[in-house]
Amino acid sequence: MTFHKVLIANRGEIALRVLEACRELSIDTVAVFSQADEHMPYLNLAGERLCIGPADPAKSYLSIPAIISAAELSGAEAIHPGYGFLAENPDFVEVCEDHGLIFVGPPREVMSLLGNKLAAREAVATAGVPILPGEAVHEDEDVAEVGERIGYPLLVKATYGGGGRGMRLVPDPDALESAVLAARAEAKSACGNGSLYLERAVESPRHIEVQILADAQGNVVHFGERECSVQRRHQKLIEESPASHLDDATRSALHASAISAASAVGYRNAGTVEFVLDSNDQFYFIEMNARIQVEHSVSEVVSGVNLVKEQIRIASGDELRFTQEEIVIRGHALECRINAEDPMHGFLPSAGRVTIDELPNGFGIRLDTHLYNGMEVVPYYDSLLAKVISWGEDREEACIRMYTALERFRVRGIKTTRSFAQEIVSHPSFRHERITTDFLSNFAAD
Amino acid sequence: MDLEELQQIIHLLKEEDLTEITVWNADKRITVRRDGSVRLSSPGGELALHGVEAEESDSVDVITAPLLGTFYSRPSPEDGPFVTEGDEVSPEDTVCIIDAMKVMNEIKAESSARIKKVLVEDGDPVQYGQPLFVLERT
Repeated sequence: MTFHKVLIANRGEIALRVLEACRELSIDTVAVFSQADEHMPYLNLAGERLCIGPADPAKSYLSIPAIISAAELSGAEAIHPGYGFLAENPDFVEVCEDHGLIFVGPPREVMSLLGNKLAAREAVATAGVPILPGEAVHEDEDVAEVGERIGYPLLVKATYGGGGRGMRLVPDPDALESAVLAARAEAKSACGNGSLYLERAVESPRHIEVQILADAQGNVVHFGERECSVQRRHQKLIEESPASHLDDATRSALHASAISAASAVGYRNAGTVEFVLDSNDQFYFIEMNARIQVEHSVSEVVSGVNLVKEQIRIASGDELRFTQEEIVIRGHALECRINAEDPMHGFLPSAGRVTIDELPNGFGIRLDTHLYNGMEVVPYYDSLLAKVISWGEDREEACIRMYTALERFRVRGIKTTRSFAQEIVSHPSFRHERITTDFLSNFAAD
Repeated sequence: MDLEELQQIIHLLKEEDLTEITVWNADKRITVRRDGSVRLSSPGGELALHGVEAEESDSVDVITAPLLGTFYSRPSPEDGPFVTEGDEVSPEDTVCIIDAMKVMNEIKAESSARIKKVLVEDGDPVQYGQPLFVLERT
């Protein structure tokens, strides 16, 4: 089965990616947009375009009735959610299913399971995937006792969290109670649920994740790993594939664990299995993301597979078109996220009208962006402006190529993270050492 | 695109036993379907906002769609329309219904005015912000 028409329930660079993928698959498209985005040039690539609400995302890109109505009015058969907004909302998946619309992503039950981080840990552990000591901490419970069982340092995490929301690092027992109180309040407001669990923390971890694709026939393949240790407050800034400073046995074990995790939960479509690695490169599952991620592009560049197109094929019921042996990772890819933020002032979002002086291009450079000259950067949405992706035969070449590309990324009117990214990719530690998630805080202290 | 090209497309559709052909270029997009319908749209889209001619008067107002959905001018297919051109309305009066996910949202006039023009027809799909009625303040 192939789709005739797909609705894209997102904006910006990912909406553009899905539009391009649909064109290549000869699928008609419906782009939905908020009033703030009505001048976005990518909307012209869509077969149809529908304004679904005002700038406020709660009334547009997050409005389930508006998006479902748009799909029904336009006769779309499937909805691609992109990332963010409704991409990991099981209620949205359920409404899609009730209205006979195909959600390009995992089934509702799988998404619900993975949304509960504690349940996800338990599910993958049964398949032999390593996890850290962890357990739920209930409101009427003696938190000190649970903390003692887990051991320190530990992390307080929101059961339904993600992206660092409701998360607190607790170095010793004295700090536990106040951390639990603060995390519970944050989890309630950010995730709508105050459930928490404690998990043993890995000191100075590396963050490595594995991209997988799974079809409805039960086949699961991986596209190698991505190193995402360059993070600022749990937000990734630079991602790369493959990870360097990793021995082959660990690399293979990571891939095998990712496949086991995805199979254990009955995963379907594109997903990412996230791990932390300790100082000995022992790895532990932390969570699985039930969506296409921002950093998927580096895996596409080294594997030559268009993951967004494969997502649509899988959603339409097609079997995977390749076996694991047919997926070959070649060279090295880096991705720098260019955000409309001011690195000199605490990464505060920066809004304004953009003037483009120059944008990078050329051999081994991929630029994923919805940016255009004169674009108004509005404060309502994510600050991601562009993803600069470089490919090289080896990491060294990819880094130098990235540096040049960033030098050529010249825009005015707003502050961006461009020069900050440039400093990182030229930093001797980044170039030659094993990087952990502490890298940026140490870097800022320099 | 001229008539000859269109005939060629229709011919191709029959010859190749296809159900649908879409052809597009910079300023036009044509879909020909086997159910006999032909759709034409500009890059602005099939449901592009209908422009309301600007009138240099403070007494003219427009009611726009507060949500995307299907526009109904009447409470049920058996009834007459809520309002017709020339009617006077009060703020609390319902002027139409917009159906989104089978929820019938009653749209109020919000001001005391006279309906100068109805811009959409019963059953039309409308998008957010689309002008529905032109009002003349009374």
